[in-house]
Parts: sequence; C-alpha cells; structure tokens
Amino acid sequence: MKSRAYMKTKNYWLATAFVGTALLLTSCNGDGEHNESNELNTVDTTEATSDEDFEALFDSPEVDYHLPSPLQVASIFKKSGLSYNSGATSDPSKSDLYTSDLKQMLNFGVYSADMAYCVLNEQSNEARKYLEQITFLAEKIGMEAVFENKDLIDRFDANIENKDSIEILMVDIQERTGIYMDDNEMQHQQAVHFAGAWTEGMQLGVYDFENNPNKEGVGSQIAEQMSILSSIIKGLKDPRNDGMDIGWLISDLEAIQARFDGFDSVTAYFEDPDALELTLTDAEYDELGEMIKTLRTKIVNG
Amino acid sequence: MKRILTLLALFGIAILFAQTASNLTEFKENIAAQKAEAKTQLNPYRFDGSKITYFNFKTYKQVKEVEIYLFNNTDYRFSFNGKSLPNDITIEFYDKNKTESDRVLLKSFSEIQGKNILVESAELNKTYQSKKNTNGRLKRVFVNYVITAVAGAQNKQPTMKERGAVVLVMGYKN
Repeated sequence: MKSRAYMKTKNYWLATAFVGTALLLTSCNGDGEHNESNELNTVDTTEATSDEDFEALFDSPEVDYHLPSPLQVASIFKKSGLSYNSGATSDPSKSDLYTSDLKQMLNFGVYSADMAYCVLNEQSNEARKYLEQITFLAEKIGMEAVFENKDLIDRFDANIENKDSIEILMVDIQERTGIYMDDNEMQHQQAVHFAGAWTEGMQLGVYDFENNPNKEGVGSQIAEQMSILSSIIKGLKDPRNDGMDIGWLISDLEAIQARFDGFDSVTAYFEDPDALELTLTDAEYDELGEMIKTLRTKIVNG
Repeated sequence: MKRILTLLALFGIAILFAQTASNLTEFKENIAAQKAEAKTQLNPYRFDGSKITYFNFKTYKQVKEVEIYLFNNTDYRFSFNGKSLPNDITIEFYDKNKTESDRVLLKSFSEIQGKNILVESAELNKTYQSKKNTNGRLKRVFVNYVITAVAGAQNKQPTMKERGAVVLVMGYKN
C-alpha cells in the first residue's frame, strides 16, 4: 500500500512538475503579444484541472451507497443454512485466462466471494488457493501494493487452523483494498469487483438451493440479495468504467433485475408492508437461477 | 517585466497548490485515524466497511445521502465519527430516499462535531415498526447528512476551514 509519506511526496512532486512545466512553457515563448496570451491560457487550464481533481476527491456525491462485503454476504448465506459444496466454486487455476481489465476485476470479485465461502466453511486449504489468485489478479489490475509485502499470505499460513483469525485477515484485505482504491481514485472500479462477488455469491446460493433439499432459508436469502443489484448496476454505469467494454455486463444484470421485478411474488411482497420475507415460487427460483448461472459462466470463462 | 511578473505569479500559484495538497493530505490522514477510532466502537459487531462522506460548507444548506442495506436476521451497528467537522451537522435516518415524500424519519441527532456516536439497527427497526404500525422490518436505511449553511463560505473555492467529513463505519453481528 502506498504510504502517507508517499502521498505527501507525490503532492509536492506534482507541484514541482507544475512549476517545471510552467517555466518550460514560459521559456519557450517568443516576445510577441500573441505568445504571452497563449502562455497564460496554458497556465489557467492546468490550474483549473488540478483544482477540479481536488474538489472531486473532497466532495462526495449527493447520493451514495454502501455495499455489503463478500464476507458479510457469505456469513448471511451460511446463517440461512447454506452448506459447503466443493464443486460449486470457481476454478482457481483459471486466473491466467483473464486477460482483459474487466475479466480480471470481475474475477477478483468472484475469487473474493469464493474465499469468504471457504473461510466460513473452514476449508482453509481451498481458501488459501483463492488468496493466491486474488493476489495474482490484484497485480494485474494495478493493486499489487495491497499484497506486495506478502504478509497476508504469511499471516494466513500462520493461522490456517484458526477460523476467526482468517476471518479477521479477510476483513484486513477488504480494508486495505478499500483504502488503496480511495487513495488512488479507483473507487468506481469497486462496483466491478462487487458485480463479480455478487454473481458468485448468488451462484453459490443457487447451487445449494438446487442440490440440497429443504433450503427455504437459502431461497429467501437469494431473493433478499437481489435488493442490492440496483446499486451495483448504478456503480457500473459510472462513466469512468466506460473504457472496459462493460455494456454486456450491465445489460445482463439489468435483464436479471427486470425479470425479478416482474415476478408475481415480488410484486405482492412490495405491496404488503407487513410482509416479513420474500419467497419466490419454484418456477421463479428456477428462472432466476438460470439467469444467474448463465451470467456467472460468462464471467468465469476467460 | 511581464515575463518576470508571470513567473512570479506561476510560482505563487505553485506554492498555493502545494500548500493545499499538503493540507488535504493531512486532512485525509486525520480521517484515517478517525476511521480507526470509529472501528474500535464496533465491538462485538464485525467490521463490514466504511463510507467517508466529504463535503464543503456553503452559504446554503445541503443534504448528502448514503443508502445502507440491512439483511434479514442480522443486527447492525453504525459508528459515526465527527472529528473532521469544522461545524456541526445533523444526521438523520429514513426508511426511504430523499425523493420519496412519504418517507419516515427514524432517528435524528446533531452535536456530532468532535464526537463518535453509535446507532444500532434494532433501535431503527423498533421506531419503524411503531411509526408505520407494521411487523415488517427495514430492508435498507438512508442516512442523510444535513449540512448547515455557513454565512460567508467560499462556495466555489472552499478554504480548509470549510471542508468537512463524516466517517461512518458499519458492523454486523453474526
């Protein structure tokens, strides 16, 4: 992680670079009135851009949201009765196949959800494989500093038999990632990571619901997790994510949202203020499950 | 002569820029410490993340909103730290976002400046059920930061005295 001292130094270097550029521009100018005018215009533009950058950093949007961590989502699913299914997680040997920024970020989220799922189900050896792949993908997406000193892997190994310590380690990873993204103006990418984590979490729920009997709790949780989808879509639509060919992902998620909103059970639930829990019909679960699985396959295939 | 004046102006701007950058870096460092402090108040709830809301006091009132999801059978604690507030603000909790005219105010408090204040979802749910006369529970809450107007504030280029932030750290109980 970049240190605070580094950030301070960075700011001073920015200022120095600014002065250097300005001096260079001045020295390159001739004596005529026309050139003097250009010189001032250049300076004004640079100053305005810097001010805007700073203001954007220190003035939050009017409307914002907080998404639950993969660990919370996994914890809620587990509390709802989700059991561990070894074949349900993503293949940890596939991270080499993810070559685009979008796939790398999405699968960073997928592997984070898988790691949380393994940790909560005391599958430490499996969880370690996901930590390795998260580290690998972090390097690809410009977040190598979060994992660079290897202390996370070392801590994991030292506590491999202690579930609580591993959970705390996961929280640390999440916090370090958040701080790093804040410091480096990468917050808009969090929605991409989260889209991967959300899809994988839902897929794990659907898998368990389909393969294990008497899973009403898991079914309700799948329906409940749908509530955060609109915020994920909103986050993905941040214009700063435009360069990643993200259209297909937004379309697929919007299609899932639209289909879910159209279910009779969902309409009835939102019309009844006393309704405690949303339960879909079998046909609705099947339809939602198929859409989730299709999207998940698109995400994890390289 | 013009060139010398231009150089001096540039130099002055660069110094101002460096000073602002340095002040803002320090501002961010303080927030990191406040976040750590707010996090210590979560125990025995498990940390789930944080949301720092930055704003500038202006000559008119502003409202910034943060939406938080609450899941079934899970209790949440919200830890607010107001030690980066140059002026006091009001924090309000609602069941719906600020565009909804029928939303219900669940809790409101001020005097957050310089303090760390805790709010729990159980309390919000109780108020919601009482005010709405329902057995249903909150599926999400909307935290509104009501940022009071400050006479004479520099709306376009805020000074450090006009910059503020609230640290919100969230925790859940397993």
